[in-house]
Amino acid sequence: MLARVDHALNKLYRYCGYAAAVFMVIIGVLVFLSIITRYFSIYVPGLTEYSGYSMAAASFLALAYTFNANGHIRVEILISRFNPKFRRIAEFWCLGVATWISVYFAWYMSKLMYISWKFEERSEGADATLIWKPQALVVIGAVILCIAVVHNLIKCIMTKDYEPR
Amino acid sequence: MDEFGLTLIFLFILFLFLGTGIWVAVSLIGVAAIGMILFTDRPVGDAMATTIWGGASSWTLTALPLFIWMGEILFRTKLSENLFRGLAPLMRHLPGGLLHVNIAGCTVFAAISGSSAATVATVGKMSIPELRSRQYPEKMIIGTLAGAGTLGLLIPPSITLIIYGITVNESIAQLFIAGILPGLMLAGLFMGYVAIWGLLRGRRKQFRGEKTEGSFRDVFQLIPIVLLIVGVMASIYTGFATATEAAVLGVGGALILSALQGTLNWTTFRESLLGATRTSAMIAFILAGSTFLSLAMGFTGLPRSLATWIGALELTPWVLIFALLLFYIVLGCFLDGISSVVLTMAVIEPLIRQAGFDMIWFGIFLMVVVEMAQITPPVGFNLFVLQSMAKKDMAFIARSAAPMFCIMIVAVILLTLFPEVATILPETMRNQ
Repeated sequence: MLARVDHALNKLYRYCGYAAAVFMVIIGVLVFLSIITRYFSIYVPGLTEYSGYSMAAASFLALAYTFNANGHIRVEILISRFNPKFRRIAEFWCLGVATWISVYFAWYMSKLMYISWKFEERSEGADATLIWKPQALVVIGAVILCIAVVHNLIKCIMTKDYEPR
Repeated sequence: MDEFGLTLIFLFILFLFLGTGIWVAVSLIGVAAIGMILFTDRPVGDAMATTIWGGASSWTLTALPLFIWMGEILFRTKLSENLFRGLAPLMRHLPGGLLHVNIAGCTVFAAISGSSAATVATVGKMSIPELRSRQYPEKMIIGTLAGAGTLGLLIPPSITLIIYGITVNESIAQLFIAGILPGLMLAGLFMGYVAIWGLLRGRRKQFRGEKTEGSFRDVFQLIPIVLLIVGVMASIYTGFATATEAAVLGVGGALILSALQGTLNWTTFRESLLGATRTSAMIAFILAGSTFLSLAMGFTGLPRSLATWIGALELTPWVLIFALLLFYIVLGCFLDGISSVVLTMAVIEPLIRQAGFDMIWFGIFLMVVVEMAQITPPVGFNLFVLQSMAKKDMAFIARSAAPMFCIMIVAVILLTLFPEVATILPETMRNQ
């Protein structure tokens, strides 16, 4: 049962990573379009804004995936010298703080999105996009990061020889 | 509690978080939140969300994933083989022989990849076994790789330079162009050192097997990659493309090059894209943390009081530069390049602006200094990469890199004596 949840969650992070990768390609396409259209002096409103939104989406959707692939930088010089028992306590502490921050972050990003949605805020750029739409992608990424962090925290508590991923 | 005490608590929490292994981005957000709670009555979470959203959805950031992707694509081509075989015929007859391939190879790879660890890994993968089989001294093989690998930070496109540009709001295009000459200067200094070493060692001591392989035909294999590099740089310099647009041209060029070589398939495409996604998410998360930390720092008043304090000391520029050099080398003993730039710029930027330094020049200076930190123990990322590749102990690798460290100090002195090295190209670019 637990193994299946673990497996399903890992799959979720991976698919989010794929979604982020798609947004990376979209950034490339949008920037390429902006070169072409400028060259032919055609004006397409909102190209720069849309690449900005894709950037935010690509960054945040990939957070959990990167976290699970041990891709986020940390200073390990001290804790890598700990014996296994202290190392586990240190990991517990790190994941605890990370849980606090990621929940805090996801909560306030959701609040930002909620306010944008409620007041129907639009982008100040030429695109005039309803700003909650791109923000929703960031919120999804932030929430899944919370899940990934808590997932690892629970793993750290339950398994004796917890290795950070 | 007075402001001084609060500042102390703030710094203590920062070092506690970073030192105990909490992810850098998470530490930055956490410390910033605590800082704002300590110093203001403003709603912390809302300020955080607004700032991070504003920073993360900015168009200037898009150069970052694209240049990372370009490097990831080329990393998966036959480039490292081609580099060795193409450069060997050119370098063989110089005093110091094929060791120059390490330096020239790193210089070329630095011009397509923004990361110094990737530069060391790609060039070393091919050159370490080749140079070993020709019985070059291990110390020189490792040393030149460690030193020249750091060029990834200085020679555009450089991820760390993009991050510096975003953090201090300077033109990334100009920073890139500014990095070219100092990068070549540093490469020249490294090659000079190898040449002197080669001359001292004497001509009679030949290295085995050098004449048997590598012909001038292999040199031509380097032409596509050189064209790609020149194309990307020229499009920035002439103003045809912004840094971001040049990055897209670079990605396109890299895909074509990889297709021509026959290394482009679904697997390499997927792997390069996912690799770039991870690296870019890691950096974007740190940047998100750092924009929030800059906001919080503003409330603490720490940058302002530090700038006033340093200003009152009336240090000469040389003393200030020397102090910063020491500061970043010590910091680099514990943090990687990107983290030490984002962590300090909120405090250092006002100080530098007040002292009247050119921000473009300072960016280049900072890259050289951060590079030096990459090859000093205990946390030198290039040393770690070399350790796993060369299978030698850390002390040996650090000792081999030591002469390169000294050469970089010479580079810093030259850069301070002749700031034009960094500023002349951006100036002519502006005046076009």
